[in-house]
Amino acid sequence: MDHQHVNETVVREAKKLGADDAISLSAVSDEQMVRFANNSLTVAKRITETGLLVYLTKNKRRVVGASSNPEESSVKGFLQKLFKSLKGLPAEPNYSPLPTKRSRYGPAGGFDGKIAEVENEISEFARESIDAASRAGAARSAGAIEASLASCYLMTSTGIEGHDKRSKILLNIRSFLDHESSGHGLSCSSTLAGFRPGEAGRRAGEDAKKMANPKRPEQGEYGILMSPTVASNLIALVGDFSSAFSVDAGTSYLAGKLGEKVASSVFTLKDHGWIRGGLGGRAFDDEGSPTQSTTIIERGVLKSYLHNLTTSKKFKTKSTGNAGWIEPNPWNLEVSAGDSAFDELVGEMRKGIILTSNWYTRFTNYRTGEFSTVPRDGAYLVEKGEVKGALNGLRVSDTLERIFSSVRSMSESREWIEWWEVHTPTLCPWVLVDGVKVTRAYG
Amino acid sequence: MNLDELKDLAHLSLKVAQDSGAEYAEARIHGGTGNGYMLKNGEAQPSILEDSFGIGIRLICKGALAFSATNLLDRSTVKDLTLRTVKMAKASSGLAAKKVKLDDSKAARANFRAPERERMEGADPSWLKHLLGEIERRVTHCKGASAIANRILIASSSIEQKYLINSDGARVESRVPRLHFYGVLTATENGQTAQRTIQQGESGGLEAERRMNLIEKVEHEAALLVEVLKKAGKPPTGVVDVILSPELSGIAAHESVGHPQEADRILGREGAQAGESYLRGDSIGRKVGSDEANISDDPTLLRSNGYSPVDDEGVSSRKRRLIKQGRVSEFLHNRSTSAELGTVNNAASRSTAYNREPIVRMSNTFVEPGDFTFEELLREVKDGVYMKSFTEWNIDDKRLNQRYVGLEAYRIKNGELKELVKAPVLEITTPALWGSVKGRTKELEFEAATCGKGDPMQGIPVWTGGPHTLLIGIRLGSR
Repeated sequence: MDHQHVNETVVREAKKLGADDAISLSAVSDEQMVRFANNSLTVAKRITETGLLVYLTKNKRRVVGASSNPEESSVKGFLQKLFKSLKGLPAEPNYSPLPTKRSRYGPAGGFDGKIAEVENEISEFARESIDAASRAGAARSAGAIEASLASCYLMTSTGIEGHDKRSKILLNIRSFLDHESSGHGLSCSSTLAGFRPGEAGRRAGEDAKKMANPKRPEQGEYGILMSPTVASNLIALVGDFSSAFSVDAGTSYLAGKLGEKVASSVFTLKDHGWIRGGLGGRAFDDEGSPTQSTTIIERGVLKSYLHNLTTSKKFKTKSTGNAGWIEPNPWNLEVSAGDSAFDELVGEMRKGIILTSNWYTRFTNYRTGEFSTVPRDGAYLVEKGEVKGALNGLRVSDTLERIFSSVRSMSESREWIEWWEVHTPTLCPWVLVDGVKVTRAYG
Repeated sequence: MNLDELKDLAHLSLKVAQDSGAEYAEARIHGGTGNGYMLKNGEAQPSILEDSFGIGIRLICKGALAFSATNLLDRSTVKDLTLRTVKMAKASSGLAAKKVKLDDSKAARANFRAPERERMEGADPSWLKHLLGEIERRVTHCKGASAIANRILIASSSIEQKYLINSDGARVESRVPRLHFYGVLTATENGQTAQRTIQQGESGGLEAERRMNLIEKVEHEAALLVEVLKKAGKPPTGVVDVILSPELSGIAAHESVGHPQEADRILGREGAQAGESYLRGDSIGRKVGSDEANISDDPTLLRSNGYSPVDDEGVSSRKRRLIKQGRVSEFLHNRSTSAELGTVNNAASRSTAYNREPIVRMSNTFVEPGDFTFEELLREVKDGVYMKSFTEWNIDDKRLNQRYVGLEAYRIKNGELKELVKAPVLEITTPALWGSVKGRTKELEFEAATCGKGDPMQGIPVWTGGPHTLLIGIRLGSR
């Protein structure tokens, strides 16, 4: 498919129909995956797709269309249907027209075409990871490797054009010693050279072995040392809550707190449209605004929400280049590095728990940030700076603001995290938090 | 683009796969249309229209399973993709120590449609706008409305269509229209907030809107939320009796019975993502609850969100009795898990889209009704809590350690409902929960939910439900 031609057709036909503004965003993606369980392949997958997203406005009314079949013959009919639907809609009070400055964006960089060529190697990567886990002590491993390429092409009726392409390869491996003892490993990279399947397997296998004979903890408050995987799960949610849409909708604990202290002074959080090594992002957002680096939290103080054109008009500020036609979203989150080694962080804990993985984070109330999350895989009790044994059957129950306000220190080393439970790529250190509430189930 | 135009591509793919040495092959044309509308605090957001069709191809070569998908719907692309899928299966078979086998389930030849009196296609283009406009008006004029500071209201309609064929002779065509509502209401007063997430949905035509009684339901929930914010006091802690509403019974049935009885989890296939199970392949007959614990999953329920009377492997489905009188009765199976465990397939294989592999899924999971009235159940309780709705919930990946935080909840004293209590926490193991069931009411009510599983993730529409369920001697906590 000729994406330039499709975009030109969409914009031309939209203008003919009488649209005030139009955006055509076409994309193509190719995703390969192998999944395995019990050290054996369960399925190999390949998904090759193209897609077309269209944004039309008329008299401050907006409609968004998504079609997976953007052939020229069907585009015209699709546009007519979209345009017709505008007539029944109410005007939006915070409607903001598209930027009129003509711009042309190219790829931001970091693309590795070699990831397209892993077709014959991807099973070998899985084998490498499984074998490393087995050597480290695992009885069996399950997991998935995903190698994907995506290109997108944007054109607006105001003369903005953009093209970008992204690559990434992700491994998620979980190793088991028995039904009670498991470990987790990830390798997430935008380049093939940065992919470490053996290392991720070794970590998963080592944790599975260390988790032998876990005990249930007493309920109470503990210092918690969150791995980059666990911390990223919560930080990606902070990224979502920093979206001005969420703030306006009453579904963010960060509402009304600009300029206020919402985290510890050692904690800084940024969003980057593009960052070296980042697994997502591009040079332009879905409205054709340039993406940027935005400091969300600086030394604990909430500095900025993330905006598109509509939310920035409502909040009387400028777009941060995070559109989303409906809501702004983070691209790549980065937590500042600390100055501690892992062993030093463990040494700081009097009564604590090291958590290596978690899942199922859910909120009592998005507005207050009250939540709980369920640790899984490696979890270790620490007393007076020493690891005393493995734990299971626990739950962290607290508020996001209290957790990030109680960050004592962080590691110097950081990792990129993106997996089943972390959808926004996040560069994150180990994070040590004081006084976190831990509960366990009755029965 | 419509389904009839694309059927030839499925037949082409199947022929190419078989000619290339596939031991088993299936092709599924899957897609449809959708329409969505959102109000945020009464302000219109962009309307959304979707139109999507593609083909999913699944086959087995040398004992290895491969799945591919595309929405580039021309003969050349589909032929090439099928050949690549065969090649992919053969290339990865070296890693497939355990060969994939399918059981000999009877292949269905069926054309099923969710009943609809008024077809979605006939809708006034502005109907979702009018629906949400009226909900917004009611919520902002209900008792205590000034406290409802924030509102997200989303309504969507969709028509899902499929054409599935496989090398064992299945040929299944289907059409399932659905209406779905999602809302988040936030009440605020004196620096305190309370929040209610509402999800409603069912299959059917335009008449589903009236049947669901959406406008009145959301208005009712808004008024209750303000009551909870203003009046709820401390819940009792320690050991009490608990009555779970149909909403709570349903989520507990889904999370701690439906999920751990998915056979693919038991066999470890989802180990790195959604996890495994506290049950094993030989757990059929194991006592996990009291004699009053009876839980089922039924894909044949008319109007249901999880309506799927023939599954996505082309096998006719049926109601499954997951727990009978406290004992594990059957797991949820597809053709592969039933072959591996040497049992009968009950056709629970579902896929959300052309680009998603069919895997073992729930449909409509519920606690079976009993013979109490609600008043009779109340009279059984001297000191307890009635949990009518919930907010936060989660469960570990073996499905053994779960938690539900109540929103609308009442103290029960000597068989009578008393004051509202704030955020009681039911944090309990699966055997303790189902082992404490003492009684169930006669009615059966359902809530809509979207169940997540798979990699890539598949959020699939389901119902969760049940009657009121009495749990005896439960330790409650509070937030």
